[in-house]
Amino acid sequence: MAAAPGGYFGRALVIDVSDGSSRVLPLPEQVLRDHLGGVGLGTWLLTELGPPGVDPLAPEAPLAFVFSPLVGTPLTTSAKFAVVAKSPLTGLLTDALASSHFAISGKLTGHDALVLVGRADRPSVVTVEGDRVGVLDGSAEWGRTAAEAEASVRARLGPGWQVASTGTAGERGVRFATLSHDGRHAGRGGLGAVLGAKNVKALAVHATTKVAPADPAGVLAAAKDLRERSRGRATAKYRELGTMANVLAFNALSTLPTRNFSAAVFEGAPQLAVEELSQAREVVKTSCASCAIGCEHLYKGPKNKDGTGRKVRMEYQNVSSLGPMCGVSDPDLVIAASALCDDLGIDTISAGGTIAWAMECAERGLLDADWLRFGDGEAVLRALREIGSGEGLGPLLALGSRAASAVVGQGSEAFAAHVKGLELPGYEPRTMQSMALGMAVNARGADHNRSGAYEADLSGDLDRLAGGADHVRGAVEAEDRSAVMDSMVLCKFLRGVFEEPFEQWAVLLRLVTGWDLTADELRATAQRIVLAKRAYNLREGWQPSDDWLPERFLSEELTVGSGRTAALSPARLRSMISAYYAARGLDDSGRPLS
Amino acid sequence: MPATGAVVLAGGRSTRMGAPKAALEWHGSTLLRRVVGLVQRGVDGPVVVVRAAGQDLPRLPSSVDVLDDETVAAGPLQGIATGLGALQGAAEHAVVCSTDLPLLHPAFVRAVARAGQDADVALPVVAGHRQPLAACYRTSLAGRARQLLAQDRPRPAFLLEDADVRVLDELALLGDPALAKADPALASVTGVNTPEQYAALRALPPPEVVVQRFGVLASGGDHGERTVRAATLAAAAQAVGLVLDRHLLAAVNGDQMVRDPELPLAQGDGVAFLSADAGG
Repeated sequence: MAAAPGGYFGRALVIDVSDGSSRVLPLPEQVLRDHLGGVGLGTWLLTELGPPGVDPLAPEAPLAFVFSPLVGTPLTTSAKFAVVAKSPLTGLLTDALASSHFAISGKLTGHDALVLVGRADRPSVVTVEGDRVGVLDGSAEWGRTAAEAEASVRARLGPGWQVASTGTAGERGVRFATLSHDGRHAGRGGLGAVLGAKNVKALAVHATTKVAPADPAGVLAAAKDLRERSRGRATAKYRELGTMANVLAFNALSTLPTRNFSAAVFEGAPQLAVEELSQAREVVKTSCASCAIGCEHLYKGPKNKDGTGRKVRMEYQNVSSLGPMCGVSDPDLVIAASALCDDLGIDTISAGGTIAWAMECAERGLLDADWLRFGDGEAVLRALREIGSGEGLGPLLALGSRAASAVVGQGSEAFAAHVKGLELPGYEPRTMQSMALGMAVNARGADHNRSGAYEADLSGDLDRLAGGADHVRGAVEAEDRSAVMDSMVLCKFLRGVFEEPFEQWAVLLRLVTGWDLTADELRATAQRIVLAKRAYNLREGWQPSDDWLPERFLSEELTVGSGRTAALSPARLRSMISAYYAARGLDDSGRPLS
Repeated sequence: MPATGAVVLAGGRSTRMGAPKAALEWHGSTLLRRVVGLVQRGVDGPVVVVRAAGQDLPRLPSSVDVLDDETVAAGPLQGIATGLGALQGAAEHAVVCSTDLPLLHPAFVRAVARAGQDADVALPVVAGHRQPLAACYRTSLAGRARQLLAQDRPRPAFLLEDADVRVLDELALLGDPALAKADPALASVTGVNTPEQYAALRALPPPEVVVQRFGVLASGGDHGERTVRAATLAAAAQAVGLVLDRHLLAAVNGDQMVRDPELPLAQGDGVAFLSADAGG
């Protein structure tokens, strides 16, 4: 086999957890060049290895941990990995990124991806050290939180092992269960449930080799330059306050989802404002592996079971979904809810979105749960506990808002805030109409990281309340940029330091891989990845009606601070979607022309 | 509501001023840029500027179309005909303003635009003076305006003769709570025609606006609202120690995201400054 390009091993390891067998899947250079790594390569792997129409929780369904050429280099924010699978929440492709030493150790097992298939006959822990695969008894870790399981496996295996685990929600098949490592989560789409369905609690990896970039000196110089730039103003927001800085700003812009998207301004937002909390509370700042930005802000949370103090990672999406979306303004309860999501191993966005939908159902008398009311933070905690335990409303809410609304019916589908089954993040589509399109058409569903179209809405270059051609262009460009960043992989919070992103990303990839990459080739790669995700979804049963927004957003108006009305008509959304399809080379129904 | 556009007339001869009014300095911006920006905030449709053919204009937002008067020195009715004609099809009504209204308030524009929805013309009358160059017209009046010009009847008053005119006196105008709060003296219609008038109005303090800073712009305990005097976005930023660059964005009254330093501010505006990157 020809030598792999710089930064790659040119192979994936496919592990059948049913019997611990494994095989090496060669990754041809053209496949790597066409898909890079991370989300792009993961999409290719899923398409190649996943049986068409497979049940996401079936043994045959692959779960891919995918690295990238940049992992292991000194380039800041590059220690990231993608987890890609068919989502039990959406029935379509899901891909989630996490940042930690797991990425580095996982790649330095000598593989560009580790793919799990099959189902173990008992709760297990899978280990990978080079080409050696083990399937160990995981009964000691089963029933424990992801953090506890991670610590337990590390204690058993010894130093040098990195462990990605699911919490109890993954074991129970909660459709929005996460995969975690070192407190970081591959959060969206229910990847933890896919792992749990394989009877696997955790995947442990141990580095055994090294990988060299094509131009080590060039990479070192680029890393130094990037590190310097990553400490500038472009990242100050993340470094100094973290993403929670969005809360008060979004409230002022009428873009803060409130009480299940029935409003976009939350009267309790000042109580959740990081500008205040960071002054009044003990906050510890930290960062992911290989990151010079340091966006993580840990707040004092509820005590651990053993009475010791605990710090909780707080980010805008946690706060938005478990706070304003549920009408909760008490910061202690929002922090406690975030901590509980971490313990259970569930996605805060989907959890908050589903609970907010249930609160509205309860207030409308569609659910028999008089304890579940907007504004009641204790009710949020109870609902989360029930999701985790499978008691009370838990089995219903564990389905996510789309499936739960199909059970409840009675018109509740109209205010179940999801796209393709994935709950909306903290961006109000009526007052961010590029983002409305981005969420409607994105392969993963209602998502901010794969679309990124909010960048256009907040650019100052267009009227964010009046979606049209400029918004389509903005959504396409943002989606392309995301496709490349998520496949290289680099953290989105670094994007502001790239003034000519495709040109500068091509330089980084040239130094690492040795390829004669150009910005134009990278733009074509971005489009290829976006379309590959769509092609996978088509194969798995995507329908044109999946590229749409819930009725609430198309029938209820909002008013922004200036007095202007923010309305998104079905005709306007349809027009933007048609223009998006045209820009992507799709036919009128969203299918590839060729 | 059908879209309401706007026409800003910049082609006057400025005889009494002795210099083109459109280019007069106004707190770091220009008179025309200010009026265009304030009118834009009061309507939901396109805005056009009508100038004399070949006239140099100060920098304007790229969203504004600039049209040339079809006839040289034919007076404001020519500009009205050109502007309304250009907007036909895109807007049913248009607020028409002259370029010499530096105290114009968006609330005034909105009030006049709203009153114009069920009439051919909504005509403010302030202190007994009719204000045809701060009024709202049905765009279909473009044809009638051209007829009048062809008949050598070039004054806007002739356009009102056969039209369904809704007169807006002070009582009617100030019946709009937003306008009553923002511009109780109806200074919006104060024109600038002579160097002395210009000097007097230019000497007035800039409007009072409330500034809020968010995120890292407000860290270090420097958060909360602050009232400053600023006629433009750049001046508001400067008043709170900020510099408008690619890392900074603003929103006026919670509406559009803006970063144009010359964006005009009006009395009572709220300006929010935030980091340009809203990821999370």
